[in-house]
Amino acid sequence: MQTSCYHCGLPNDPHQVFSTLVLKQPQVFCCPGCLAVAEAIVKNGLEDYYHYRDEFAEKANSDESDILQTLSVFDDDSILDEFVETTDKKSEIQLSVSGINCAACAWLIEKQLAKVDGVLQIGVNVSSRRAVLSWDTNKLKLSQILAQLEKIGYHAKPFQPEQHEASYRRENKRFLMQLGLAGLMTMQVMMLNIGVFFDLFGHLEAETKVYFNWVSLLLTTPVVLYSSAGFYASASKALSAKTVNMDVPISVALTIIFASSLFATIQQVGQTYFESLCMFVFLLLISRYLEHGARYKASQISSNMLEYIPTSAMVLDGQQTKAVLAKSLVAGQEVIVKAGELVPIDGTVMSGQGQLDEALLTGEFSLVDKQPGDKVYAGTQNQLGTLTIRVDNNLKHSVVNQIANMQTQAMANKPRIANIADQFSQYFVGAVLVLSVIAYVVWLNIDPSQALWITISVLIATCPCALGLATPSALSCAIANLNSKGILLKRSDALEQLTKVDWIGLDKTGTLTEGRFSIQQTVNLGHLPDQDLLSIAASLEQYSSHPIAKAFADHPHLQRVEDFSVDIGLGISGTIQGVNYKFGSASYIQQPLPAELAQCNIVLLGDNQLLGGFVLNDQIRQESQDLLSRWKNKSISLISGDCDSAVAKVANTLHISNWHAKQSPEDKLKLITQAQQQGYTVLMVGDGINDGPVLAQADVSVTLGAGSDLAKSSADVILLDDSLDKLDVLLALSKRCKQKIKQNIGWAIGYNITVLPLAFIGYLSPWMAVIGMSLSSLIVVVNSIRLLK
Amino acid sequence: MSIIYVLIPLAIILVSIAIAVFFWAVKSNQFDDLERHGSSILFDDDLPKPADKRPPSKEQDESI
Repeated sequence: MQTSCYHCGLPNDPHQVFSTLVLKQPQVFCCPGCLAVAEAIVKNGLEDYYHYRDEFAEKANSDESDILQTLSVFDDDSILDEFVETTDKKSEIQLSVSGINCAACAWLIEKQLAKVDGVLQIGVNVSSRRAVLSWDTNKLKLSQILAQLEKIGYHAKPFQPEQHEASYRRENKRFLMQLGLAGLMTMQVMMLNIGVFFDLFGHLEAETKVYFNWVSLLLTTPVVLYSSAGFYASASKALSAKTVNMDVPISVALTIIFASSLFATIQQVGQTYFESLCMFVFLLLISRYLEHGARYKASQISSNMLEYIPTSAMVLDGQQTKAVLAKSLVAGQEVIVKAGELVPIDGTVMSGQGQLDEALLTGEFSLVDKQPGDKVYAGTQNQLGTLTIRVDNNLKHSVVNQIANMQTQAMANKPRIANIADQFSQYFVGAVLVLSVIAYVVWLNIDPSQALWITISVLIATCPCALGLATPSALSCAIANLNSKGILLKRSDALEQLTKVDWIGLDKTGTLTEGRFSIQQTVNLGHLPDQDLLSIAASLEQYSSHPIAKAFADHPHLQRVEDFSVDIGLGISGTIQGVNYKFGSASYIQQPLPAELAQCNIVLLGDNQLLGGFVLNDQIRQESQDLLSRWKNKSISLISGDCDSAVAKVANTLHISNWHAKQSPEDKLKLITQAQQQGYTVLMVGDGINDGPVLAQADVSVTLGAGSDLAKSSADVILLDDSLDKLDVLLALSKRCKQKIKQNIGWAIGYNITVLPLAFIGYLSPWMAVIGMSLSSLIVVVNSIRLLK
Repeated sequence: MSIIYVLIPLAIILVSIAIAVFFWAVKSNQFDDLERHGSSILFDDDLPKPADKRPPSKEQDESI
């Protein structure tokens, strides 16, 4: 028998068998969810999917009814207004679809939806994991379409592209067109001119040369006017802001080379440099395009990761409840929050009792008990019990939104640091201008007829081709390398700033620690072997949603539990093989504990006999310890919202002398701004909603893939696989990248200085300029490519 | 050598056509998803209709 699921590839449950016929063969599945998805696929005649795919699908969700209820929220008018473009007959929406991992998925989705009456068009993009859907609103509701996708195992959400994404996309297309044009034209112009340089056509008559010049002029003009438009725009923007960036010398060089070649063609004197010009533009565009593409990709992935699920709320309307959108709630209304649901809004508990997971708000994962009269906050999750809440404020004034606003403000105040290339270009522009004036004046005294041409060839010798490539080529290679290691870089200049970091702020829970309970110590009173003790505890906890249950989650031997029951805030009980077990805190057991068990947070009782206990703790990640031991020479601060004792304990273990406990988001922000005012470059690592504002304010900010959406939207770097030691990779690569940029600039300037004397004495012929230019650019690019390894 | 007075303009016309096609392709999103369309030719494009169509398409698939 197969041991792994035919649909998702995960191991099967040994106790239960789910199987069905796929492609005329019996296949086994791990759970009812995967089975249902496979059956739906087979029923729709789409089983060829299993032939085509080259990767396993995502594990399917089992409890379908919940999903369908959530989906109905998407039919609300305010959602439609926000996401859907409606013309008289059809509506169009962009969906971010999770679970797409190969081309067969796109095929499956398109085939599945094409059969639904009312769907007009569906286009799936595999690389961005998105779909564009247009449908007939009279025939079909959006939630029905999304439910069709859920059936075959894909979760689709209407999504909001990141602010800049639309402009990234437009720019990407423009770059591609400019690049294509420059490439094709460069080939033509090169072909003509290589012939001329090396006399491949035999001896050329003057007339033919003039003809070649005119053809080159014709082919080069679109390159100068269209392909280089971006350089002029960026240069004039910099100049109007009274600064100089790399595009200023590039634009100056382009204009002068083109003008002088144009003059030479018309007057039939001197040299033309059309081929150098075309190649110059082509090479620059390649590296700019690659750099832009890497950033575009990162922004796509990160905006897909931001979940947009509008929270719905169950409002009490007399004796009945009805589902409404959380943002339509007003103060005074009463809402019911069941176990497992998100609290939709800030309010006060009226009746009921529950335990809330406030991790997203405070960063702490231990559950908080709520009694009537206590405040609850939007975005927290009710784990146990049912609460009736009176709404205090509308969603706009909720704590979560206040934090989000603080983040937007911090983002706007973030200090900007000029990058190396732009700083360097100021000196470069000055030097070039001075040199050409000197050349002109000197030659005016030697041979006035030559002065203009010598000056132009000086300008060509100092053409910043390789220099312009130095930074973008290194950055694009570094970003690509980081992406392949699971590090997402949303802002490329963050790499340069990383090398300057001398003040590091770290969040505690979820960043330095695992952010969940794990078993630190097992105390066994000797009635049962350790193995059985663990197995019983894990079997009981498998039905609990309390964070403690996660500590036992990966235990392999689970047993069948009967008569399972939960006492909120105390513990759980159940019967395994005829023995009645109780598992919970000391007050739940109602027995005096022996000294051995005094340390334990949770004890196990079997038929009223104490069996043992567990010490559970939020464990410090193994990587944090290694990482901090390597960071001895940096100023490190531990900033947490947790209580003094817990923070002090972690700080002591990790030897961090500088720690701040009980920090609210405002306090954290103040700490960071203070450090920045003292002249430090701040790196902040955090993951919660409460870290959002600090992440936005810090010079460079890093969050984990498991972090909250707010943190992900404000961070510069996302560590997708949650392993903190990637920080070291990031820092090391940023150092290497900066080094490469410096080397590249060195090479580029070296080339310029070497050919300068030749230009000065009037010996720089066009073919020398072309070969020199391409060689120096090649060296720079090859040097940058080494960053990929 | 006078042939180049004909051939070069001809080349220019061909390049212009190539550029026009390329621009059209970029504008109509042909370059948006470079992963998917390479393999989509291998997938059966017909919507599987009633049972009479299934068996033949099956055999084809298994030979892939």
